[in-house]
Amino acid sequence: MADDNNPHTWLNEHGDYLYRYAISRLHNEEQASDMLQETLLAGWKGHTGFSGQSSVRTWLVGILKHKIIDHIRKEIRERNLMTAVEADPTTPYFDTDGRWHEAPHAWHESPEALCSSSQFHDVLEQCMRKLPASQQAVFRMREISGEDTESVCKSCDITSTNLHVLLYRARMALRHCLQHHWFEQEKH
Amino acid sequence: MKHACREISKLASDSLDRPLSVWERLRFRFHLSMCSSCNNCNENMILIRKSTALMQQTDYGHARLSEAQRQQLHASLDKNLCD
Repeated sequence: MADDNNPHTWLNEHGDYLYRYAISRLHNEEQASDMLQETLLAGWKGHTGFSGQSSVRTWLVGILKHKIIDHIRKEIRERNLMTAVEADPTTPYFDTDGRWHEAPHAWHESPEALCSSSQFHDVLEQCMRKLPASQQAVFRMREISGEDTESVCKSCDITSTNLHVLLYRARMALRHCLQHHWFEQEKH
Repeated sequence: MKHACREISKLASDSLDRPLSVWERLRFRFHLSMCSSCNNCNENMILIRKSTALMQQTDYGHARLSEAQRQQLHASLDKNLCD
């Protein structure tokens, strides 16, 4: 067996590259590292199937891509099972008559001003990180990567109704978080 | 209108992802014309969309495995490869 056909060598030579790929999709260091480990092991188990037509790196990225999609889908499936029994997270925003507990305020800042502020970027990032992983994943795909709803549904293997609910929950939580951690704070 | 604001906030979000039906749109517009809270909620969601759309994806161009992560990965590879 050639010396470079070994997970330790792959880790040394392609580890950072694969890690960057994983973290840019998962936004979580621990999960990115786990996906990397699974990829190297899956690569090791299946390396006889490696045709050598593509580079080792391309081949490993292909495995990693599938691992990440599987991970997101699994997360969403588990979340859906939980959602069936857990309370709707938007309930606390309303009274039993469906009126606002805390009325939303008008926000007087332009999107251009907001997106050029690195402080706002940090606050938004912190607010997104507080979301359950499934909401975070679909919100990032839809709003930051600008994917259409059909493609998000396809990548996550969910129905459009399901996607609308996840995005609604994400937007409500972000609206609330930004209200408290940005718009209500002292002028920046 | 029971549960009105709650339903309207869902329509505000949905309107960013799908065309509302004629009936939904009428109800939505009518409610917004009378309810400043829901109007603000709708505007807030639109502002979130516009500002995130302008935002670059978080740049992970310089992300690297830490030495601790690397060691841990080597160790768990060893463990898994021996099994």
